[in-house]
Amino acid sequence: MGGEVRYEIAQNAYAKLVLHALKHKSSAVNAVLIGRPSSAHNDVVEITDSVPLFHSHVGLLPQLEISLILIEEHYAATGVNIVGYFHSNERFDDYELSGVAKNIGDHIYRYFPQAAILLLDNKKLEALPKGKDRSPVMQLYTRDASKNWKLAGSDGGSQLTIREPSANVVLLDYISTEKWKDIVDFDDHLDDISKDWLNPELFK
Amino acid sequence: MVSKTEETQLSNLESQVDNGGGGAWEYLCLVRKLKVRRSEKVLKHGLSILNDPKKRSSLGPDEWTLYDQVAVAAMDCQCLDVAKDCIKVLHKKFPESKRVGRLEALLFEAKGSWEEAEKAYSSLLEDNPLDQVIHKRRVAMAKAQGNMSGAIEWLNKYLEIFMADHDAWRELAEIYSSLQMYKQAAFCYEELILSQPMVPQYHLAYADVLYTLGGLENVQTAKKYYASTIELTGGKNTRALFGICLCSAAIGQLTKGRNKDDKESPELQSLAATALERDYKQRAPDKLSLLTTALKSLKVSL
Repeated sequence: MGGEVRYEIAQNAYAKLVLHALKHKSSAVNAVLIGRPSSAHNDVVEITDSVPLFHSHVGLLPQLEISLILIEEHYAATGVNIVGYFHSNERFDDYELSGVAKNIGDHIYRYFPQAAILLLDNKKLEALPKGKDRSPVMQLYTRDASKNWKLAGSDGGSQLTIREPSANVVLLDYISTEKWKDIVDFDDHLDDISKDWLNPELFK
Repeated sequence: MVSKTEETQLSNLESQVDNGGGGAWEYLCLVRKLKVRRSEKVLKHGLSILNDPKKRSSLGPDEWTLYDQVAVAAMDCQCLDVAKDCIKVLHKKFPESKRVGRLEALLFEAKGSWEEAEKAYSSLLEDNPLDQVIHKRRVAMAKAQGNMSGAIEWLNKYLEIFMADHDAWRELAEIYSSLQMYKQAAFCYEELILSQPMVPQYHLAYADVLYTLGGLENVQTAKKYYASTIELTGGKNTRALFGICLCSAAIGQLTKGRNKDDKESPELQSLAATALERDYKQRAPDKLSLLTTALKSLKVSL
């Protein structure tokens, strides 16, 4: 009996997270993960979309609260919710899950007990063009019984997979065409509300 | 810190240059003036001038400034060979220069050779103990190595001497915020507001930090600073308008059951809500219904 939840992330959701981080290389960035428990397997959570949030003042509350209210409101109508949080640290070699990330993760956990935190793995991202790795360039953290966020190990099968097997190939293509330029996050929206944080045209 | 007009001007110039419309030198000068970080573009367009002997000589004495700018941009993009070449040229022209010495130390930083960089900076400081750039590099190096408490210590020492350096106060505030040390961040913004009371970004950041700290008094003060931000920006700042609504909701929650005197008048929040609705209707109409529901959930009466 595993009892461990697995997470399957859709290609577009995955690509958005990485592109957002690449757009703001010298800052920490974050995003929320949108999805639902799988109707087919009850220990799988499908991450169907993501919304990039901020690239500045990532630790401040007011903009986070507004963004969560608006995002939840939008997606509730389509039967999905906020199921997790993505964070990318400011420094290349920083693999620590910050207090900010944990707090936001805790908040999401209160509404969705199978919540996950994803942390960008910069070294894996850097190595992407050199190999044929199909696994996501992120680390997965889940809450354990003692309420701590625990890193999911790479032992015995991956807990985090990408739905489309060629997602990394597509991602590399997006990177080479500098697609990150087109991505809009909540910070951009608050600076100019005509910018759409849903990024409807991004992958068209 | 860049204003919206400056940001637009920069973007327009950037697109123009990117699409072959010329204006590379103007773009590079603007980047220098605004002190923004556009290293990939600077590298690309700067090199296109430096590698063209005609264009290079037409710059006259500005040529050396460009080598400096391109060297730093190259280091930021990890193109260390380009950086080395630029520094070599500068060293040849200005053999005793402290400025070139700083670039050489910066190159050590770019390589991750922290000890060499520290040695180089220390020796430069012996002759120039009040060189602000070098002091700030020390902070940057601490930050780059993940030594946040070291960065904070150095930055505080720096500010004891150079207390008018607004960028330094802002950097310190942001470091504190990222470490969730909100009280200390608030102190930094207080210093900034005291010295530059007409800059709305400081009022806004201060309000954000106070709201994050929480508690009735902080949220009430945050509301005042969101209000002053709105005043200073002619009512156009979306974040401040949202801030008013969030504060009103929070204050409402925190003063539940208290007698009427403690409660606030609802005018400010309904004005803010109306302003937001008007703005969304005009510029983001597909998000208007989301906004209205959100404002309702904050129990903001319209």
